[in-house]
Amino acid sequence: MYSDNGPTSRPCPDANGLMPSCAPLAVPYVPFQQEGSQKYDQTEALANGTLFPGLNLPFHVKVKGGDLPRTASAELQALQFVLVELGLYLDTHQDDQEAFELFQKYAALAEEGKRRYEAMYGPLTQRAAAMDASYQWLNDPWPWEYDQKGAGK
Amino acid sequence: MFIYEKKLQYPVKIKNTNPKLANIIISQYGGPDGELGASLRYLSQRYAMPYPELKGLLTDIGTEELGHLEMIGAIVHQLTRNLTEDQIKTAGFDAYFVDHTTGVYPTAASGWPYSAASMQVKGDVIADLAEDMGAEQKARVTYDNILRLSDDPDVNDVIRFLREREVVHFQRFGEAMRLAKDKMDQKNVYYINPVFDKK
Repeated sequence: MYSDNGPTSRPCPDANGLMPSCAPLAVPYVPFQQEGSQKYDQTEALANGTLFPGLNLPFHVKVKGGDLPRTASAELQALQFVLVELGLYLDTHQDDQEAFELFQKYAALAEEGKRRYEAMYGPLTQRAAAMDASYQWLNDPWPWEYDQKGAGK
Repeated sequence: MFIYEKKLQYPVKIKNTNPKLANIIISQYGGPDGELGASLRYLSQRYAMPYPELKGLLTDIGTEELGHLEMIGAIVHQLTRNLTEDQIKTAGFDAYFVDHTTGVYPTAASGWPYSAASMQVKGDVIADLAEDMGAEQKARVTYDNILRLSDDPDVNDVIRFLREREVVHFQRFGEAMRLAKDKMDQKNVYYINPVFDKK
């Protein structure tokens, strides 16, 4: 379900990372995730809680990712989730050009998704409420409310 | 500054009320390893971070944790909606109910209100990042334990997501520690505190 869209000459398997040889004592080490790691598509990323199959390390009680509702809001959540995940990755891998290009691609998709969602269901931010003919910011449901009527949202 | 987006990071749609489960999950709202403590810890540690990668990472993870706080609030809210007279007398939830009715209050499952004593801002890059790695592990274990105690599939989907985020955050803090270390004294990273001691 995921594509291996990175360089093919990575020294370690995907779930492993890079460590220095002869590391100094008394400092903790976590292996660096390699550039070009495998990635899920956005829906599977959201369902699993990570974009990266190599970092998907579930607990034995609940191994499978969630069944996401097929709604406009879940689609937008998936696109924005990839942005959050890639953002954290770029914070520690700022020179990974391929990841940055993917970040740019998802930022455009998420922007488009946000506009689509707001056209159907109302403003996501108070500022966006200024674009409507009347003040729609206060409309129920708020995010924490379980909305059976608006289940398609 | 912060701008609110009127959506959750991940869908929370809990069909069945269950005050007993709410009483456990509230710990990730205001407990010692909960999301409130996580966001406060990371957002507060930023000020004494010497390097841009660390300022950025703490900002971004701290912000994500605020979104997780909202998701935990949503779970607790949905688990306690439309309670019957009998349900409010559920062992464990009755004590919460008398103080907070069905409001969402930052407290540990054990009843201890949220306390900043459960987190630290040491003002030292290695000490703070080591604390952050420990914090992610403790939150991960809390989610493991919630998965052991809960048999509600709607809740467990969300908990699995939040638990996995702790694993990813641990990885990023570990990488951040190495980025910091590379910029510090190569013979002895403990020689100075780069944000405080002027070379």
